[in-house]
Amino acid sequence: MKFRLPSTIRHDQAGFEELVDLNSKAGEIAFDEIEIDMGSVTWLDADMCAALGGILYRLSAELNEIKLTGIRPDVEGILSRNGFLSHYGREKTPDRYGTTIPYQRFEVKDDRYFANYIEDQFIHRSEMPSMSTGLQKKFRESVFEIFSNAVIHSQTQMGIFSCGQFFRAKHRLVFTVADLGIGIRRNIEQSRGITMRADAAISWATEGRNTTKNGAIPGGLGLKLLREFITLNKGVLRIVSDAGYWELSGGNTRTHLFGYPFPGTVVNIEINTSDKHSYMLGSELAESDIF
Amino acid sequence: MRFGPKENEMNQGINLSVFEIVGSPLCVASDDGQKVHDRIAAALKEGRKVSLSFLNVTSITSAFLNAAIGQLYGECSEEAIRANLQVTDMAQDDLALLKRVVDTAKAYFKDREGFRRAVNEVLGDETDAK
Repeated sequence: MKFRLPSTIRHDQAGFEELVDLNSKAGEIAFDEIEIDMGSVTWLDADMCAALGGILYRLSAELNEIKLTGIRPDVEGILSRNGFLSHYGREKTPDRYGTTIPYQRFEVKDDRYFANYIEDQFIHRSEMPSMSTGLQKKFRESVFEIFSNAVIHSQTQMGIFSCGQFFRAKHRLVFTVADLGIGIRRNIEQSRGITMRADAAISWATEGRNTTKNGAIPGGLGLKLLREFITLNKGVLRIVSDAGYWELSGGNTRTHLFGYPFPGTVVNIEINTSDKHSYMLGSELAESDIF
Repeated sequence: MRFGPKENEMNQGINLSVFEIVGSPLCVASDDGQKVHDRIAAALKEGRKVSLSFLNVTSITSAFLNAAIGQLYGECSEEAIRANLQVTDMAQDDLALLKRVVDTAKAYFKDREGFRRAVNEVLGDETDAK
């Protein structure tokens, strides 16, 4: 079975739509050879490897043999540097430009491994963007919140995929985490008994005190913290879950319903690295005021 | 589980180091938060005051704090926690995060109690109707 990728796959609504379309066309194929023809691809945002990798992993779990063919040299260069192609028979090449946070797959029990990966690949690398201490801490904690969200809520059996890219000229650092879990819509349905559209489900999860937790440990803060940070930072937050697309940009949100679902959830954060906001609090909190 | 202080032991405090319990400056995993919770809960159960130090901790998530501290509000009264638990060595932004977690946990357990009461009322009504 052969599938052709389009000329550009960016981390935006159209880019995600191409990937859910690929996932839908591939359907439930098993014990087959799947050729992903990338001959037309002239641009693929490297962080989108997390979502693409998740889809291809789902297909390989059905014992399909995945082959990526026709990759143009410039696209091959970046997908080799971030380690994506080493999952498909190529060797990883060194990242001479220092702009990639490598593509990697994690199990749900790998919280610490993920934390160390972020420290090693982002925090301890001199070629990564120079950001204020406050911003660097907020970015790091945001990606940890995203990973924790996937661990706690996704119920994935096939892992969590991540990848990042620094767009130096645009002062933008983009990081994507994808899981192959049940998605936000089904999670709300199972835990709260509320049925809603996939895009409305994402909105629900990012607002107020809404949470799908109902056990001994409270929850429901992670996505709200992300939303607040990205609004202050003037970045972009995109969430794809099931057939829903939700985007926060410039403080405004918009949603869209795809024709087909993504087989899990993708969270994509784009931060403005030239942000000089201190992220310090306006008023001092005393340790005695907490409880 | 409800914790009650044993009056003769109440003043014997215990210092807990988050860094020592987790073994890392990265306090990001819910499972690690659970380990911290279990130590705090065991100490409170024995009627000890707990001082929880975050010295040398560099990153904290809400998932970690929900497990470590948030869930205490489902086990102890707010008054008992306020009287017997204190945190030290936290940066201002981490304190702000903890405050959000605590406020969310209080609301969560109040909502859950209300939800449970409503369900019981409905089930009670159905039982009565039979």
